Amino acid sequence: MTIRLIGFPFSGIVLRVIICLKELGIPYELDPPASYKSLRDEDYKANKHPFAKIPVLFDGDFKITESRAICRYLVSKYQGKYNDTILIPNDVHKAGLVDQFISYEFSYYDPPLSKLLYQEKVVKSLNRDQDPEVIKQAREELAKVLDVFEKLLEGKEYLNGEYSLADIFLCPNSYYVYDAGHSDLWDNRPNVKNWWNRLYNRDAIKKSFEETKSFWENNPKF
Amino acid sequence: MTIRLIGYSALYPTLRVIICLKELGLPYELEPPASYQSLKDEDYIANKHPFGKIPVLFDGDFRITESRAICRYLTSKYQGKHNDTILIPNDVHKAGLVDQFISYELSYYDPPLSKLVYQEKFAKKFFNKDPDPEVIKQAREELAKVLDVYEKLLEGKEYLNGEYSLADLVLCPGTNYVYGAGHSDLWDSRPNVKNWWNRLCNRDTNKKSFEEIKSFWENLGK
Repeated sequence: MTIRLIGFPFSGIVLRVIICLKELGIPYELDPPASYKSLRDEDYKANKHPFAKIPVLFDGDFKITESRAICRYLVSKYQGKYNDTILIPNDVHKAGLVDQFISYEFSYYDPPLSKLLYQEKVVKSLNRDQDPEVIKQAREELAKVLDVFEKLLEGKEYLNGEYSLADIFLCPNSYYVYDAGHSDLWDNRPNVKNWWNRLYNRDAIKKSFEETKSFWENNPKF
Repeated sequence: MTIRLIGYSALYPTLRVIICLKELGLPYELEPPASYQSLKDEDYIANKHPFGKIPVLFDGDFRITESRAICRYLTSKYQGKHNDTILIPNDVHKAGLVDQFISYELSYYDPPLSKLVYQEKFAKKFFNKDPDPEVIKQAREELAKVLDVYEKLLEGKEYLNGEYSLADLVLCPGTNYVYGAGHSDLWDSRPNVKNWWNRLCNRDTNKKSFEEIKSFWENLGK
């Protein structure tokens, strides 16, 4: 039975799971909800996500929510089944460090990045003005985080040396913010710049962003 | 070689790791830093935590940071070695659901909870600020909505994933603080949540850990 992924392909959070599915070579069907509003329906909360969020993944009868948990589950179950790609190493220490970097993404990288994402992508669609003070502070906060990443990436191609789930998780929203006029934050730091270019050029990641582009082209009024 | 944990037991991310170590029957040494300011020293940032945070765990030469990543690592490496306690089930689907509930904790439960912890426990004693009643009111409302969802999730279950797991452990320390700081009604007014919290409070490891914290605060007052 094919895996069913409920979500919008332009959502950075859903894209994490799409990239993971593609990296592991797992076939899936994407099932976008009718609208963001429909996530608040009683039926959605009862049968899909109790907090009314996306993504939700069905693997046969098994339902799992929350992008990071979904990706860990997919890796646990399918890593090595369709191809050789390793997203979480088998060695317990290396896997521990991947988890650590996943936590850095959640704790330090994502907060300022999400503020920028909101200002650059969501505010306009709600017909509101951007707040330049919020953008300035978020840029400063993200710059400090990227200074740490610059050191963490010294002598390494990816956060944990080899490509892993930790790199995937910060890809999608980084792409949106990078593309929205803040590329200098990544490009001014040589290790970060090289790492970002490497990620951007991975097949699975390129294809995932292409899917997003074609969703917008086919649904311009969404 | 004994495990070395750098942190303050009064701060609940450190306490998460302490509870996990106790649950798995692992001996450890707690090493509080010289001061909170010392976390920003160049040496600490270079050799302990690149973002200047606690806790940090050393297992021999292996260093790992971020409380939930540390707990997953300890479980991965030591579950079943010192006792029979299962924090992450071996079955891939059950483990996936534990991960999902850990993600609910960090995405929905912890944000309002940590605001209440700060307001009730730390604002006055450590930062000389009076608790802000508006922040407390909003955080209570947000946490109440989350606990309404938990009330449904716990229907017919003793713990979040049926059996006790890391998903319950991670929210114990912060909950203990807020419950004991005048907000017990949030848990006690919801029957499933109330029973679940009582069960958690009665676990040996939690009882012992919460006693340790109580004496920290009592001594602080002197």
